[in-house]
Amino acid sequence: MKWECMVCGYVYDPEKGDPSRGIPPGTPFEELPDDWTCPDCGATKDMFEKVS
Amino acid sequence: MTRYVVIGNGVAGVTAAQAIAQSQPGADLHVYAAEPYPYYRRPQLPDYIAGLVTEDDITYRPPQWYAERGIQVHLNCPVVELDAAAYRLRLADGTDVPYDRLLLAMGGVAWMPPVEGVDRRGVFTLRTLDDARTIRAWARESRQAVVVGGGLLGLETARALRALGLEVTVLEVAPYLMPRQLDREGAAVLEILIHRMGIRTETGVVTEAVLGDSAVRAVRLKDGREFPADLVVFSAGIRPEVTLARQAGLVVNRGVVVDKYLQTSAPDIYAAGDVAEANGIVYGIVPAAIEQARVAAANLVSPGSAVYRGTIPTTTLKVVGAELTSIGECVMEADDLVQLRRADPQQGRYRKLAMRDGRIVGAILLNEREHTSAIRQLLERGTDVSAYTDLLLEENPDWKRLLA
Repeated sequence: MKWECMVCGYVYDPEKGDPSRGIPPGTPFEELPDDWTCPDCGATKDMFEKVS
Repeated sequence: MTRYVVIGNGVAGVTAAQAIAQSQPGADLHVYAAEPYPYYRRPQLPDYIAGLVTEDDITYRPPQWYAERGIQVHLNCPVVELDAAAYRLRLADGTDVPYDRLLLAMGGVAWMPPVEGVDRRGVFTLRTLDDARTIRAWARESRQAVVVGGGLLGLETARALRALGLEVTVLEVAPYLMPRQLDREGAAVLEILIHRMGIRTETGVVTEAVLGDSAVRAVRLKDGREFPADLVVFSAGIRPEVTLARQAGLVVNRGVVVDKYLQTSAPDIYAAGDVAEANGIVYGIVPAAIEQARVAAANLVSPGSAVYRGTIPTTTLKVVGAELTSIGECVMEADDLVQLRRADPQQGRYRKLAMRDGRIVGAILLNEREHTSAIRQLLERGTDVSAYTDLLLEENPDWKRLLA
């Protein structure tokens, strides 16, 4: 399941993870740390919404 | 019932309204927006100009979204007057709107510098979706563009115009690009990436005049050089939209001055986002807008219940497709800092580490995605890395040795 940043449109893809924050590929969005933020604009995790 | 009014429909305004609606279901809650559009993603406006996303993609929050959350949104309703003593707003159409608690979240406006000839047709700033639509339409009939300002927005605008096939030149007054986020060496690497896209750059230049008849024909620099242009975008920074607050007699400095509760100098009026000046700082970044909106919303509902302690800038950003991260004391060139640099212009990569007493206190990382996490950890832990300076500059350092 991918999640999209409401502020800037960045899409978190669990297959890719977020290497810049040490998030390995295969990490579901729900398991990201609470202080994880959008790599593109810095928005907090609760500004993300599921995309189909 | 308490009547909550939010002026502004950007990140700060919408986040605050959502927070109020969540904590006070059924509240009498109104958002007034000067623009005719529901919330849209401002950072994507350059992509919209480039045709990479559609208007539907960025204005994807329809009026029902507000309705479902109990937020009454009033689009195309600029507020023209604020009477803080009478707890009343006046709209452009003359309607008076009372409030009990008010949030100023009207954001900022693009600054147009006082350069001769900026009133000619074909000269723009970029802040709103309307601006983006106008630029996009004008660009269809244009061949040569000049972007004045080599900061983040200026470079993103240049990239968008280039994607539409225009010849683009960026003019920056500072000696190098993105002076707020980069140092000279890092900017040199970024410049190579930008030149590869076919965008020209001129740094350390002063724009003196916009030439032409009714429409723009060229831009002239102070050194006398002229750059032909049928489209010019000034990207000289964003200023807080303080007109209403100033007219109402609130304390205004660069932005609307707020205390640690984000309350302005007037009772029951708060401010958040690009319009607010907290601790003397107008942050102008998304994470601060979100954090301030939540604190302000909590205090609107229950005064004094939340304190804003400032935002540590999360400064990873995308510029012209490159990923740029700045951490800690990165641009500072203090005498007691040791600077380690690794530049790989061919790969478009740059790594700068600023060290004090053997510890990393700042970093600038351009396209160094896989190393960012390790460097951030070393900085946060304050690890003494003085014995490992060679390792720190390797292409692919064995971070485990340092983080173990």
